Amino acid sequence: MRARDNPFAVQRVLAVRYRLAGVTWEELLERLAALRFRAAIVGPHGHGKTTLLEDLGERLGEQGFRIRTATLHEGESRLGPRRSAALFRDPHPRDLLLVDGAEQLDRLAWWHLRQRSRSAAGLIVTLHSPGLLPTLHECRTTPELLAAIAGELGGEGAADTVPGLFARHRGNLRDALRELYDDRAQLETERGPLETERGPLETERGPLETERAPLKTV
Amino acid sequence: MNGDWITIETRDGSTVFAPGEVIGGTVSWHLQGAESLELRLLWYTEGKGDQDSRVVTTVGLGNPGENEVRPFNIRLPEGPFSFSGKLISLVWALEAVAAPGSRAARLEITVSPDRREILLPSAAGAHAGPG
Repeated sequence: MRARDNPFAVQRVLAVRYRLAGVTWEELLERLAALRFRAAIVGPHGHGKTTLLEDLGERLGEQGFRIRTATLHEGESRLGPRRSAALFRDPHPRDLLLVDGAEQLDRLAWWHLRQRSRSAAGLIVTLHSPGLLPTLHECRTTPELLAAIAGELGGEGAADTVPGLFARHRGNLRDALRELYDDRAQLETERGPLETERGPLETERGPLETERAPLKTV
Repeated sequence: MNGDWITIETRDGSTVFAPGEVIGGTVSWHLQGAESLELRLLWYTEGKGDQDSRVVTTVGLGNPGENEVRPFNIRLPEGPFSFSGKLISLVWALEAVAAPGSRAARLEITVSPDRREILLPSAAGAHAGPG
């Protein structure tokens, strides 16, 4: 199968938007306003934090906020000039700062971000665990959610292996969907013997994949 | 805006080209309230990893009327070529994008010396045909 035909190709997965459970968008936005637009979206890897932050930003942009975003990847402990400019150049009182991966920041960088965000309308961050700002929403995944997404992307039968897949990736939907990509690409057959030999290490495959350097996006 | 549409057509309906070739065609549209429209030649990747993309050429189709047909000619660069493996595909496309809003049309094309998408060995076994 060509990569472009794979139903679990990254861009098709990224097109799946966040599905709120147990709360409506109106309630979430009300809670955010009550927190004076300073809050955190919390959850482990692959639980939808980034997607929710994007969707939230879109809705808040429609409310008249000027959305300014920055993303920190693993190992990046400072904002640096490029991300600082994205957040703070030509500041405006309607600026809403969205920082994805804020737990990466060291204490000094986090302090600077909070200080500089005081003149903005708000600061919303994603974190792996609660603490830096009041929690707006805790992202959770379920086998049912994975089954629904797998079914939508891959059609009938795609969701059949979900219970094992969900457990193997500890609820990390991104890695679970990557495994489904591999299945469709028949990559499994190519690395089958290796996996058989190192069966117990299979759960380590997820983190290794997430550490791969991203391609440059223009 | 309901009823809006944009269509990209090449001169003879071809979607396969050689590097350096000139693509001729038309962009036609019915758009209400469009302030600008541009035609882009771009490539992007699809597959397992993060997406890479590059807009190679942009042609402004300024002051778009409500109903229009405009011709275009765009010369393709020498590369990269269209290809597909199991992990990544590189796809060329023409894209017409109107503003404000997100109204757009895309026409995927193949760019390679023999006018066929290059299939890497890993993908060729599963898909023998071109583009």
